[in-house]
Amino acid sequence: MKESIDLSQILPIIAPIIVIQLILMVIALVLCAKADHTRGPKWVWVLIIIFVNIFGPIAFFIAGRRTDG
Amino acid sequence: MSSETKASPSFSVANPPLSSSMTRYRVMVEKELLELVRSFKLLWVPLVFILLGIMQPVSTYYMPVILEHAGSLPDGTVIDIPLPQAAEVLAQTLQQFGTLGILVLVLVCMGSVSGERNSGAASLILVKPVSPLSYVGSKWTAMLMLAWGSLAAGYLASWYYTGLLIGAVPLSKVIGSLLIYGLWLTFVVSITILFSSLLRSPAAAAFSTLVGSVVLSLLAGLFPKALGWNPGALSGFASQAVVSEISDSGKFGLAILVVFIGMASAVLAAAGALRRSSAVE
Repeated sequence: MKESIDLSQILPIIAPIIVIQLILMVIALVLCAKADHTRGPKWVWVLIIIFVNIFGPIAFFIAGRRTDG
Repeated sequence: MSSETKASPSFSVANPPLSSSMTRYRVMVEKELLELVRSFKLLWVPLVFILLGIMQPVSTYYMPVILEHAGSLPDGTVIDIPLPQAAEVLAQTLQQFGTLGILVLVLVCMGSVSGERNSGAASLILVKPVSPLSYVGSKWTAMLMLAWGSLAAGYLASWYYTGLLIGAVPLSKVIGSLLIYGLWLTFVVSITILFSSLLRSPAAAAFSTLVGSVVLSLLAGLFPKALGWNPGALSGFASQAVVSEISDSGKFGLAILVVFIGMASAVLAAAGALRRSSAVE
């Protein structure tokens, strides 16, 4: 009972957080799919991007792509 | 990046020297900004800062609820955490920016010069009539725009959420501390670009900058009397500015002066290093 009230109050507040995380995840996934070479296997990066909150996409942006080429 | 953006349209025009070098500098800045857009950095770095900024007030506000649901506390435990002052939440947000935010910024610009030197792009650009100073300066300008934009977006998002959940903080204080904190980020970005043009490996540049900024902050915290004027003290001044008032305006002014001298000499030294050898042997 109490928790459902809490949830409906919390949802509009945390919605932007979830949306931003989704945007980061989608950008990272698109870049990962388009990249010719990634540092390490691509499917591992996909798992990291999807399952590691916030830091998964950041780690891919910073370290995931090989820029030589 | 695409080659047509590097070729300045002003090359064939016989301009007076000053205005043509200004034009080249502007074209280089536009090229750097285009690169930031194409690599999505202009999108994800501000988003990360906004995320950091929002999380701080939200997690502070819901900390009792989170503890109640996540902790394996015995029944009947009374969780009584006093809600902090609104301004303190903003100061905590600045601390978040100081760790994760600076980490992200330094990692983003660690390869800005050394990456292009390693790949040979830097020497390709520098054989054109682009001076090393405007080459380094354009990267520095673009990175500063990224840093200031991200900081402003994240801090204002944090301010908005704090106002929504905890309490209002006057906007003038927020802007004041935003400007002070931006100076600290400016200093860190300048040092990153300096190390990026001095050292061959981007990781080494990032590591030196991070260690350097931690040492500066520690020194400012440990010896506030003797070393309270170094740029590392600026993050503390920014927190002071939002929570109360800046206590020591003399040291504060000195710190700002040191930041400006430091960033000018960092850019000049980076340009000097490039002038000596534009490519890595």
